[in-house]
Amino acid sequence: MEYNGGSVVAMIGKDCVAIASDLRLGQQSVGVAMNFEKVFPVNDKLYYGLPGLATDVYTLREQLRFRVNMYRMKEEREITPKTFTHLLSSTLYEKRFGPYFLEPVVAGLTTPTELEPKPKPFISTMDTIGCITTPKDFAVAGTAQDKLYGMAEGLWEPDLEPEDLFETISQTLLNAVDRDALSGWGAIVHVITHDKVITRQLRSRMD
Amino acid sequence: MAAPGGGGAYSFSLTTFSPSGKLVQIEHALAAVAGGTTSLGIKATNGIVLATEKKASSLLLDTSVLEKVAPICPNIGFVYSGMGPDFRILVAKARKIAQAYWKVYGEYPPTKVLVQEVAGVMQKATQSGGVRPYGISLLIAGWDSHRGQSLYQVDPSGSYWAWKASAIGKNMVNGKTFLEKRYNDDLSLEDAIHTALLTLKEGFEGEMTENTIEIGIVTVPTAEQLQEKPGERLPPTFRKLTESEVKDYLSL
Amino acid sequence: MECSFGLTGKDFVLLAADTSAGRSIIQMKDDENKIKALGPHIAMAYGGEAGDTNNFADFVDRNLRLYQIRNHTPLLPAAASAWIRRSLAESLRSRHPYSVNLMLAGFDITDSTSHLYWIDYLGTKAIVPYAAHGLGQYLALSTMDKWWTEGVDKREGIEILKKCVDEVGKRSTLKFKFNCILIDASGIHHINLDSSDPIAEMEQAGKAAEVINPNPPLDVGITA
Repeated sequence: MEYNGGSVVAMIGKDCVAIASDLRLGQQSVGVAMNFEKVFPVNDKLYYGLPGLATDVYTLREQLRFRVNMYRMKEEREITPKTFTHLLSSTLYEKRFGPYFLEPVVAGLTTPTELEPKPKPFISTMDTIGCITTPKDFAVAGTAQDKLYGMAEGLWEPDLEPEDLFETISQTLLNAVDRDALSGWGAIVHVITHDKVITRQLRSRMD
Repeated sequence: MAAPGGGGAYSFSLTTFSPSGKLVQIEHALAAVAGGTTSLGIKATNGIVLATEKKASSLLLDTSVLEKVAPICPNIGFVYSGMGPDFRILVAKARKIAQAYWKVYGEYPPTKVLVQEVAGVMQKATQSGGVRPYGISLLIAGWDSHRGQSLYQVDPSGSYWAWKASAIGKNMVNGKTFLEKRYNDDLSLEDAIHTALLTLKEGFEGEMTENTIEIGIVTVPTAEQLQEKPGERLPPTFRKLTESEVKDYLSL
Repeated sequence: MECSFGLTGKDFVLLAADTSAGRSIIQMKDDENKIKALGPHIAMAYGGEAGDTNNFADFVDRNLRLYQIRNHTPLLPAAASAWIRRSLAESLRSRHPYSVNLMLAGFDITDSTSHLYWIDYLGTKAIVPYAAHGLGQYLALSTMDKWWTEGVDKREGIEILKKCVDEVGKRSTLKFKFNCILIDASGIHHINLDSSDPIAEMEQAGKAAEVINPNPPLDVGITA
């Protein structure tokens, strides 16, 4: 976890969710790249973040892309956040005795249907072997996890509109990673709403 | 070249193309199905009914232990015509497939996905070495949030179709003709159950009682039923009718 | 102790690797080439556990060659980097992992872009404008931070690289000699860092400065 550094945070808002990561890739104390994104899309209503060992970020991301594409073709539908969380969890548990060093965070919206007209915005997080937690407010992971908890605990409130949620998650992330030597070097934020995803790069302290 | 299970160079597939392009083993399997007892399925606006006749070859048999309609997972059920032992093998495989799906995705498979998997198992038996095709046709009924209620038929070749209503087994031709006359697009589940009983009655040998037929139904859940409550499971959407329920329908 | 650098510019990529070979405090060789051309416009600088390095480099080389034979087209830098990364990541969780760090440099002739990938033995891949492995990381990354700018030309690129080499010479107790190549649209070229104008020397030498492509295209009955 501390080898490459990096952090991810996700938050629930009113009919929206947000997920954000820093952009640093390091080799212990040395900074190697400042363009290393840790949050990836599954579809336009579902994103996930993989903070942890960078080689596993690539490997698991490739693995998940394969599995989600197979799901999409077999089932002729998009995967829901809840189902994706289970897929991710069982993918991690497959490597129970030689795990990927990642602590994933998932954030997404479920498309409303006749039987479920008002689905709740969804976030989840899990440990390296896929034990799921589904918080009602926010999820944090990575080397700045403890600082992120502190910031999120102080800034988050229920039912934030997309723009307010963007501000909340951005301030939470930036101020947490500034206190963490292994995270930072820029950040990227995605706010997912039912009709669009707002993606913005943030400038931050580069030291 | 050895196939798994051994047999070496002699473990050829038993299903081999005839010069005219037919797979005779599959046609024989279909003959086994056509010799089996009649089963049928009807899709309604708010559910599906599966029905079959359950014939005992002797008065002395305890028919309460015979099971021809089988739940696979809480949202899907099977009924068959053909060879009983083959059916039990497929039921066991299908239940395993459903549980494996649950382990990965945390929910039970949509009907179509399970049908494709089971059809794959049946297809494999037409191409592998040392095996024969399954001697059964299946009617598969299920409900899922993506496609709602759906009814499928799978044949020994591994072919499958989605039906509004279908019949398989001994009286399938008559049964289908009867269903074509009786079916309409706004049938309710109650109507469908009665239509199923009427269809079964055509060409039924002996008396139709709660002991000589079996019925399974798919119901469409309400939004309220789909609400997850902590520590509780969602109610199943497929279930078998009890003998007393069948008796009530028969007496109407 | 090893040291290598990579640097991208507007229409070229530079790679430099030291030429020492030895174990702990003993140097056994000072002319070891640790840069390998893998195709007409792609090369890598590699280092790490002795034995693993050459073996893995050969493995990569032969597989990229195989790809070219099968598909009548070389693997482009982005795809090559993904394949190499995956090989290392799979190796990492095998019984005998390769411990090889490398820098992959390539020029994509389909869209005229230069690419540099920093890859370590874990299978970590960074897509970067400039990078270093080994001692160079600690001594020369800050030099690159200071002097590198978007779209530097070849001469400026060489100047930055020279500054890095000088920095290592100045601040390290070890003395390194460096091997250097430049990749651009016309292929891979040797660079003499000791020259007063390496680019002029390279251009003057023409064919003589070209790194021989170990994987020339095969024309097997395919005509355009």
